[in-house]
Amino acid sequence: MTSVNSDALNALNGPGGAVATTAVALEQVIQLCELNKWIDQRPVLRRISLEVPRGQFTALLGANGAGKSTLLRILATLLKPSSGQAFLFSQPLGRDTPSLRARIGLVSHQSMLYRDLSARENLEFFGKLYGVADPRQRASQLLGAVGLLDRADDAVGGFSRGMAQRVSIARALVHDPELIFADEPFAGLDAPSTRAVEVLLGRLHQLGKTVVLVNHDIEQTLRLVQRVIVLHKGAVAMDQPAGAVSGGRILELVSAG
Amino acid sequence: MLYSLRQIFLLVGKDLRIEARSRQTIGLVIVLGLLIVVVLGLGLQGQPAADRSGMAGLERQVNHAGFSATAVLWVAYLFAGVLCFEKTMNVERTDAALAGLMLAPLDRGLIYFAKLISNLVLILAVALVVTPAGVVFFNFDLSAGLGSFIMIVGAAVIGFAAVGTLFAAVVSSSRLQGGLLAMMIFPVSLPLVIVSSRMMTGIFLEARPLETSSLGILIAFDAIFVAAGWLLFDLVLEV
Repeated sequence: MTSVNSDALNALNGPGGAVATTAVALEQVIQLCELNKWIDQRPVLRRISLEVPRGQFTALLGANGAGKSTLLRILATLLKPSSGQAFLFSQPLGRDTPSLRARIGLVSHQSMLYRDLSARENLEFFGKLYGVADPRQRASQLLGAVGLLDRADDAVGGFSRGMAQRVSIARALVHDPELIFADEPFAGLDAPSTRAVEVLLGRLHQLGKTVVLVNHDIEQTLRLVQRVIVLHKGAVAMDQPAGAVSGGRILELVSAG
Repeated sequence: MLYSLRQIFLLVGKDLRIEARSRQTIGLVIVLGLLIVVVLGLGLQGQPAADRSGMAGLERQVNHAGFSATAVLWVAYLFAGVLCFEKTMNVERTDAALAGLMLAPLDRGLIYFAKLISNLVLILAVALVVTPAGVVFFNFDLSAGLGSFIMIVGAAVIGFAAVGTLFAAVVSSSRLQGGLLAMMIFPVSLPLVIVSSRMMTGIFLEARPLETSSLGILIAFDAIFVAAGWLLFDLVLEV
């Protein structure tokens, strides 16, 4: 099964399942100022300055090694910047970030799940870590939303890549985050699973979540997002509304030596 | 404080549930521990006793066997422990599950404490199987200093697990091969081995009472490395 349950998708918006209207306020959820990151004395990110308002669906594009995933991992508090300033929800990204982490979710091409636990056990475990009021009910809601309620008690290790990715999305949403980072969530998925994940991400955006997507497929990205930021050799090479830019132009930038 | 304890309990429960289901680690480390006891035991049985004459000689022979047993048990604990540390950290690195933990709104030092407790549970489970095997194999009367033996091994294993849990995270987050873990842990754990071996010699070979000053050294080692692990774990976990 690769479809998602459209009736249950409201569960993506938290325990109440209420549908939020798309936020129009221009509160900046992400603010970066002159952000730099060096790894092994090599500059990976160079003077990144940008802002992302609440509710926007933004894509980070670029060639392999352009710094997309590194930037996303800094924003997700998994890496620390070498210099510059980074704010999430107007709070600086520092060493003590548990309160910020409670407001963000990360979906990656790796599932971040325990293979020997069932889908339900994984979601309940992460729900408890995040202090979700009723983790068992929340797990059921989310598994219904991603169309895997019938496989809830099966070990994740036996899931296909597409099924594991949908559980991974449910894991990232277990605490109803306001800001969602998706780092190459379509990597290795077949066409039906890709479509299912596209629907989930699109629905999250409709529910008012701020979504930042790292992706390699330019046409697919332009179809999904509102804004495109292209990174080239660690610096911002383009920052445009998705409707105002062509795939060819992006490909030129991505392919530039 | 209560919240932190609940989080640690939750993390340890997850580790033990995974281990109970997969049995990836415990079976391997127990077999390794038993093999070490048998192989080294057979090798050491060929050693001539220092003095085999008279009742005093017999007692000395039994005590010497006891000292050999504790040394062999130490080797078994050390190698089984290293395998434990590698295996339990591999569970976290597979599919980047550790990143999922690091994203959760908890002090990342708690992840270290939980992993340390999980490793301790596994090593103690190994000790519960391997120690009786060593005692029987060496025909060694442990009851002469059972309380002291438990205290010494307990204090030393805590320090060893504190070092091992931290270094396993360092090795797993770098490009170093897992086989290097033992090379990193053993030199740092040397004070534990030296102090506990001296204490064992004193108790089982020279019939001296437990040295509280030496026990203090073991406890100080434990405190230093548990604190260091808690403080440094976040820094070594960049994924």
